[in-house]
Amino acid sequence: MSATEFKDGLIKEIPNLRAFAASLSGSMQLADDLVQDTLLKAWGNSEKFEPGTSLRAWLFTILRNTYYSLYRKRGREVQDSEGTYAERMATHGNQESHLDLADFRKALAKLPEEQREVLIMVGATGLSYEETAEICGVAIGTIKSRVNRARTKLAELLSIGSLDDLGPDRKSAAAMQRVGSEIVGL
Amino acid sequence: MSDAGTAMDDSDGSESELMLDPKVQESIGRSLKAHYDDIVNSPVPDKFLVLLAQLEATEHRAVGAPSDERN
Repeated sequence: MSATEFKDGLIKEIPNLRAFAASLSGSMQLADDLVQDTLLKAWGNSEKFEPGTSLRAWLFTILRNTYYSLYRKRGREVQDSEGTYAERMATHGNQESHLDLADFRKALAKLPEEQREVLIMVGATGLSYEETAEICGVAIGTIKSRVNRARTKLAELLSIGSLDDLGPDRKSAAAMQRVGSEIVGL
Repeated sequence: MSDAGTAMDDSDGSESELMLDPKVQESIGRSLKAHYDDIVNSPVPDKFLVLLAQLEATEHRAVGAPSDERN
């Protein structure tokens, strides 16, 4: 793989790296520092990447290791002093869905890290359970139970634990439904 | 059914003491995607492209110019 091909591959993954880094660290500013470190490390270790395997999974592994070794503590400090990105971040999308998204992000930020990261990887990034298990260095069964616990906890935090709670009179549930249908409608 | 919903269905089954309602799961799945895609779709800061261009240029110089070919 030439340097240019590798570079183009990295560029394509930057949006996903930022989204994963923000989900992990809870801060967009930290996320961008984390992505920069990840790109530098990836470039310096490009010969270790096996062409034909998932570049995303490889980069997520680097990003995650960097986060846990260097950023985790900083993340907490930034959140304490500035609040999470959920409260500050400008979002795309329209005004209405912005509020709903903010609620969801606050709940997401309350999950234990080990649950949050797998929920994001499995539920949003397009990585498989197998890839997620490999990135986290645990068994697939562990990933599955973490995902289950994460979803249960989220439902609890968002007060949508039962079918009845999804009724139209429940504001947060209705809001979530609305966010969902906008995305599906894309 | 959405991709997220399908992926989630795989994870349940065997070990489900606390099985969430499928509609709740789906709702969470959609919000997860909304959160993630919102960041994925936001503009990438120029500094990343600048950084990678610099790294690539450094590489080319290192590989391509053992002699003093510069202009």
